[in-house]
Amino acid sequence: MTDEARREILTRVRGSCRGAGAVRIGEELNALGRSPVAQLPDPDLAVSFLYHVFRNRGSAALARDRSEAVRVIGRYLYERFRSHKLVAGNDSRLAALPWRDGGVLPRFGIAQDGDQAALSYASAAAAECGSVFLVTGKGNPASNNLLPEDHLVLVDAGDLRPDLDQALELAQSGPAGQARPRGINIISGPSSTGDIALQLVQGAHGPRRWHVVLVGDLAADTLVRARQLAGFTQSEE
Amino acid sequence: MATWTWPLSVRANRTVEQHCEDFLDQASAAMAQPERRKTMDMLGLLMPLMRGQAVADFGDFEGLRQHVRAIRQHTLDNLDHYLPKFEQEALSNGNRVHFARSGEELNSIVLGICQQHKARRVTKGKSMVTEETALNDYLLKAGLAVVETDLGEYIIQQAGETPSHIVAPAIHKPVAEIRQLFLDKHALGERELETAADMVTESRQVLREHFLASEVGIIGANALVAENGYSLLVTNEGNGDLCATLPPVLIVCTTMERIVPRTRDALALVRLLARSAVGQSISCYTSFYSGPRRADEQDGPLETHIVLLDNHRSEILASDYREMLQCIRCGACLNHCPVYVAAGGHAYGAVYPGPVGSVLTPLLSSLEEAQLLPNACTSCGRCEEVCPAAIPLPQLLRDLRHEEFRTGLTAGRWRLGLRLHAWVAGHPRLYRYATGLGIRLLHRLGRKKGGFRHLPLAGGWTSQRDLPAPQGGTFSQLYARRQRDRDDD
Repeated sequence: MTDEARREILTRVRGSCRGAGAVRIGEELNALGRSPVAQLPDPDLAVSFLYHVFRNRGSAALARDRSEAVRVIGRYLYERFRSHKLVAGNDSRLAALPWRDGGVLPRFGIAQDGDQAALSYASAAAAECGSVFLVTGKGNPASNNLLPEDHLVLVDAGDLRPDLDQALELAQSGPAGQARPRGINIISGPSSTGDIALQLVQGAHGPRRWHVVLVGDLAADTLVRARQLAGFTQSEE
Repeated sequence: MATWTWPLSVRANRTVEQHCEDFLDQASAAMAQPERRKTMDMLGLLMPLMRGQAVADFGDFEGLRQHVRAIRQHTLDNLDHYLPKFEQEALSNGNRVHFARSGEELNSIVLGICQQHKARRVTKGKSMVTEETALNDYLLKAGLAVVETDLGEYIIQQAGETPSHIVAPAIHKPVAEIRQLFLDKHALGERELETAADMVTESRQVLREHFLASEVGIIGANALVAENGYSLLVTNEGNGDLCATLPPVLIVCTTMERIVPRTRDALALVRLLARSAVGQSISCYTSFYSGPRRADEQDGPLETHIVLLDNHRSEILASDYREMLQCIRCGACLNHCPVYVAAGGHAYGAVYPGPVGSVLTPLLSSLEEAQLLPNACTSCGRCEEVCPAAIPLPQLLRDLRHEEFRTGLTAGRWRLGLRLHAWVAGHPRLYRYATGLGIRLLHRLGRKKGGFRHLPLAGGWTSQRDLPAPQGGTFSQLYARRQRDRDDD
């Protein structure tokens, strides 16, 4: 049935198209230029990125280096769950973190139903809309993005790009992204729904909270500026 | 999860059905329900404001809109190149690709895959294509347990209803109705269910079990990328990603007009989609999926299928309505349509309501069946203004009405009236004289009360509101006067 359907559909489609060659089609496509991208709310990429993270109902923290990142994560876990447990993918960058510095007890592998928190290491991030790019694979099973109550994401400030296109290019240039991975997950907030009378509720199916830890040598007021720009006071964030 | 038993409710067929022939009665019934009107009024007020803010924040939104429109037109003009290209790339990614000419064929293919895997439990992400083919009913009749996982879709599935909005399927249901529905359907005993957050927590708990236990996941696609065979899935809830990650078999039900040439074109579409739909800069989950899990992966489906449905789309491609295939299913035209906001989605009695549905439904079924829908329009033009794909919806609706007239479907008295109007409008002197006379007459008759409560031949208007008595002459007279004044100046 499907072969016959395929033949019939393709014949009909051919009858409605002009039958141009691949080279000409490619030239015409290139002539259409590139998509405009969203204007950034601040000249500083990190501020713009965090502005969108806050607007997308995420939370965020800064860390100067990997040791501070682990301490930040440890504090977050303790405040949220009175625990230091965490699931993390088999990512070499995650494995190399100085976990003892933050007293964090990671379990490397795939998240299960009932896990409270998972940590991912973003392959890239886009300031255009506060998105992190995660490539599926043993380094980051998609379940880790979806099953836990809280999803924490480490982002290297050097992996920030102004727009989605450049961030995707970076995500695909890494070892995990080179061989057409099964999935590229662009995450831009906690799981949410407005399906009950337009009331926005977090934690529809996936994480109720989405926490970004931006690692790098950033201006001390980065977080405050982003928060102010997004119109949030500290208590709201 | 072996002890989990699927509730009977996911085995139930739809119990509430509407038909597009009954648009007027259904619209009247919907407008007579004050509780349901509240959310619709909020939708009509809030969504345009939120979209407007998101558009303003973006910057060159019009440039983006025109860019995506050009890409979509280019793709449709060269679909004979891009469709086989997508198929080839999707196959090389390890997918099985199926073509379905009709809804029945899609349903049969999907059932065949489920039966091949001896599957009994299916979780579904939101998919308007499978609404179009009534896949749920088909699978349920075959004995499978199918559960919708988008919260809105889940609510209406439990209620035995159809979606009333292509993005927010349960927008018509007040909170109290949803609360009662959950109390009736979920055997969870005593618990707090006062707020929307309580209800979301409950559905999360119930649906998590379904995700973990199902053997097949079914999702739709927001775009298909020809250059690498990826499919794009956009959700806020993450339910589609769970369907695409946890069950061992994944079936993507989609259509050929979702194809875009490159990943960057899919990203351009992403920029338009959430801003137009709900005023977000991007949805929470934007995912590209290529095929089955790789050797080193611990999750993801072991087998993936892509089913490409035609269902009259190749005919639309060959017709003057080709631009409809540029639609990205954002629902902005619904949110901005005064008829949709007043009447609600169920009034249309079709899978796709609002302006997009009023054009699509006659094309996907027949004009005979859906002839009322192109008339459910005030010609205000807001749908075209906000359509991210820049589809000239009012023009297409006019074309369908013209088609309706041309093929003799229009009622006799309307045909007579339209012919008379056309004849008078074709004789400018007579038109000016007749309208001038009519205006003077109405002015005189109505000047005492300032308007009319009843007026012969205008019962449709005066049944709902008074008709103000005309003041100051016809439009042509006022225009001529203004021109004279300008010349004198």
